Amino acid sequence: MRDSFDVVVIGSGAGGAPIANRLVRQGKSVLVFDKGPLLRPDYEVPGRRSDYRRDELFSSGAEKILRVPGLANAGVSYYSSHVEPDINDEPHVYRGPDNRDYGTIEGYTAQVVGGGTQLYGGVSLRFTPTDLRLKSFNEQRRSPLKDDPAGDVKREARDWPYDYATLEPYYAMAEELVGICGTNDNQQKPFTSGNRYQPPLQPNPISAYANDGMAELGRRLGSNIEPYRTPLAVITRDHAPSGRKIPRDAAGNPDPESAKTSYVNRYGDPLGLKSNTWVSLLGPVAREAGFEIRPNCVVTHLSSQNGRVTQVHYLDPGGIARTVSGRIVVVACSAIESVRLLKLSAAQDDDFDRRINQNPLLGRYFLTHCFGGARALMPGRFDKSKALDADWATDCCATDEFLEANNLWAGAAIYNNTSDQALPLSLFRTHGSQDLDTLWNGFMSDVGMRADGFIKFLDDEFGRGLSISFMANQVPQFDNRIELHPTVKDKWGRPVAYVIKTWHPHDRYLMDTMARQCGNVLRYGGDPVGRNYPIQGQGAIYMAENALARMANHILGGARFGTDPKDSVLDPQNRAWEFDNLYVTDGAFMPTSGGANPTLTIQANAFRVADHLLTRV
Amino acid sequence: MAVAVRDPGSEYVLNHCTKHLSRSGPPPEPGDEAAATAFRARIAEAWRFPIVGFVREVRPDDAPPVNLVTFVYKTTPGDGRPVAVLGTFGTLYEPIPLTPVLFEGEDTGYRAVSVEVPVAELHLYKYLVDGRFVLDPINPQRKRLANGRTWSRFFTDGFLQPIILEPWELRILYRLIDQILPFRSGDAENFLRRYYFGLNRDQRKAEMPKAFRLDESVGEVNAIDKLLARDEAHRLADYRICLKQIDRALRQQNPFVEPYEMPAEDFIELYDKMANGVTIAGWDYGAYADPKFFLYLLRRHAVTTAFAHPRYAGNVGAAGWAYLEFRYADRNKKTLFDWRAALEKPLGTSPYYS
Ligand SMILES: Cc1cc2nc3c(=O)[nH]c(=O)nc-3n(C[C@H](O)[C@H](O)[C@H](O)COP(=O)(O)OP(=O)(O)OC[C@H]3O[C@@H](n4cnc5c(N)ncnc54)[C@H](O)[C@@H]3O)c2cc1C
Repeated sequence: MRDSFDVVVIGSGAGGAPIANRLVRQGKSVLVFDKGPLLRPDYEVPGRRSDYRRDELFSSGAEKILRVPGLANAGVSYYSSHVEPDINDEPHVYRGPDNRDYGTIEGYTAQVVGGGTQLYGGVSLRFTPTDLRLKSFNEQRRSPLKDDPAGDVKREARDWPYDYATLEPYYAMAEELVGICGTNDNQQKPFTSGNRYQPPLQPNPISAYANDGMAELGRRLGSNIEPYRTPLAVITRDHAPSGRKIPRDAAGNPDPESAKTSYVNRYGDPLGLKSNTWVSLLGPVAREAGFEIRPNCVVTHLSSQNGRVTQVHYLDPGGIARTVSGRIVVVACSAIESVRLLKLSAAQDDDFDRRINQNPLLGRYFLTHCFGGARALMPGRFDKSKALDADWATDCCATDEFLEANNLWAGAAIYNNTSDQALPLSLFRTHGSQDLDTLWNGFMSDVGMRADGFIKFLDDEFGRGLSISFMANQVPQFDNRIELHPTVKDKWGRPVAYVIKTWHPHDRYLMDTMARQCGNVLRYGGDPVGRNYPIQGQGAIYMAENALARMANHILGGARFGTDPKDSVLDPQNRAWEFDNLYVTDGAFMPTSGGANPTLTIQANAFRVADHLLTRV
Repeated sequence: MAVAVRDPGSEYVLNHCTKHLSRSGPPPEPGDEAAATAFRARIAEAWRFPIVGFVREVRPDDAPPVNLVTFVYKTTPGDGRPVAVLGTFGTLYEPIPLTPVLFEGEDTGYRAVSVEVPVAELHLYKYLVDGRFVLDPINPQRKRLANGRTWSRFFTDGFLQPIILEPWELRILYRLIDQILPFRSGDAENFLRRYYFGLNRDQRKAEMPKAFRLDESVGEVNAIDKLLARDEAHRLADYRICLKQIDRALRQQNPFVEPYEMPAEDFIELYDKMANGVTIAGWDYGAYADPKFFLYLLRRHAVTTAFAHPRYAGNVGAAGWAYLEFRYADRNKKTLFDWRAALEKPLGTSPYYS
């Protein structure tokens, strides 16, 4: 078994795969580890039957009971996807508002080759230039900030160590190599390298309300900013960089519309049209001599000598402990697990400990997104089962003028969800409960929904629900952090991750403000005359019962990068200060979480790091 | 008939077993039931074994549907003792050997074999480890035979007969679920009759026996039986206890008729009491404190089995989906739930997804 490589990449998702792709293409030897299985799209299986299924029980399956001793919610039910870790085996624990410890499934993306990009909705937005300079922006701002009496924002906001212009070519590279469809007109971000999107598919007809409502919102805000087609990681044309092809119909013509099935968010794509990192970046280099992947292998810790990571320790699929080494070691396990891996390594290795903990920041400034939106039952009914995750987006709440006018520190992307609640079980299990920890609860306890009441529910809801979401920056807080849990262990006896976080008062204010704008999109869009359509509700995750667990699948920060070794865990190239060859490239590097879904930015940054690594190996 | 043994490759086996079976501590010794029980108890989804999956080779279009069933036995790497499986899916005199599953050429300690088994079947099996017959230490499904012997059990997709619920339990369950699902309104009932009638003869032969009183349901009771036999076996106790309470409560409510023949009003009355936390005469609260909790469970199970993919044995012939397809259409009578387009043939019509 080969045990030394130019580069060892731990984690095959958004942060890891771009690096493997670029280095293998340049003739380097790269080993990729992933804890999860290597499930293949149909075209890699001889009988063309993928292990991903269009089956609603694959995204949230049979009931399991949380049985981890000592957790306050032991005994609750949970329903995980076929590619999520089992939280009885590997719980993520968070501290609840009552200071007691709870288990949650919220902090995982997915445990499978491709990571979270297998299950993601594929919304692939760029951050705005202001997102990368929130410290400067807020220092120079004219209007005061709301609900920030202690001045936390100005103290804790950080500029990224590079500006948008530096990242821009890598955004373009990611859009091209990953395979993304969308439109760039009306986006409030410069596309200096040109438009690399594939053309979008026809929007689902229900999204016309969103389009109209967003346009009206732009008018009312005075900016006249129009919506654009949400960039989605789905190919709509044959994709040369990955060799993927659009299915051909009986007449031999490409049939890109066949990608619209609503088995999208929380489903792996059996046809490989969704651009997860396996089909877009790793599969295409799998036959190259330098590439090797070891799925079903969990990396347990790293050890170092004099600032060089010398060994990567892992358990093979049979649980046998083995090691490999790499000239460069890249950690990309999704932020919570990356921080945990670094902390577990420090606990076992003095050299590693001294260097990674040269300041107290590892695990600190953990971030997710301020997230929420609004929902309404629209006047018309549509076939929502033919949809991708989102159709329209608008940047009208992300401009500097909007932030000044609303006393906000940072902006948000707003987009409509199209595939949510499109299929019958997803409609039932998310009725009244939107997050993973409380699936089914709303349906089960809505006991009046039975027989004719059930039909009424279906008549009201089926094919009529439209939701609008916002995705915004969360204020970085030193006390929001990942630790190792003092007592709870995983199935191998290793301490699990412990998430401690709260929402800042300004976060709440921001979420209220943005949720209102999402509500307005529906009010305007549902009623073109009076612009006052009744909506079901608007809100944000801080209001949820398990608000402290909620992460919207966006797991960021905890090892932020920066220019000052005293103020960051990673240097501007994502290298751990005090280490020669250790890099962290998943969402953990972010000092601020950005006003949009994070994955495209994780990928773009990873492509940037890949260019840097090419100068080193 | 000879069993078709297939080799889906070690990647396939490891993909499906590592998450569940790789954990600290040695695997149980063959035949050590106490150790097996302790080992199994730590695996949240032990019911996934043997792995009931799909054949990965190309199969002729007219080949009868089968599952790929993969038996996995865990020992320590280097263990040379032979492991084989003997079961009713093959001949009972020819054990089929499991072979070591390799990772990068090295023994992982897993032993596995994959065989084709027709869909809608139930089978019993044992492992033969080093000349000794043992139960599958991972799979919790067991069947005790009349002769007192216990075997390990599995079933393939769309299995039709009740496995664990008694006929009287099935009957009451059927009536209770009527109160939850939308299929008992005049419209829906008529639709289902027409739908099943409209299936062609072969489909009907295949589908009709599946569903208990199929004309008025979509087979959800049968599918709940499967859930309790396997995926949610931890809920069997709730059903066992509560169906007894429900039977007793109904008899108190209406002493003149057998519960399953009672008019709908009796079931509605009981449903409402359970839903509203009203004290139910005849319910032993010492045995089960919270009738509402059971109602919640029943609601989730009813709707899951009625609308999940038919491979889980409910939603027979996709009648649950077809009901939505028929109910919701635009002005031109074009359906607003065109579920077939995304799904595999013969259930759906997708030319691309199988
Ligand atoms: C349902 C869902 C919908 C989403 N929708 C969107 C969206 O629309 N847009 C968007 O931008 N983002 C979305 N996301 C988030 C997106 O998936 C993540 O932002 C992205 O995948 C994060 O990349 P990463 O590299 O940090 O981690 P991941 O992509 O999760 O990759 C981490 C990988 O590391 C592996 N790993 C972890 N620990 C170890 C270890 N010790 N040893 C070996 N391997 C290990 C894991 O198995 C995993 O494969 C969504 C996520 C989910 C779950």
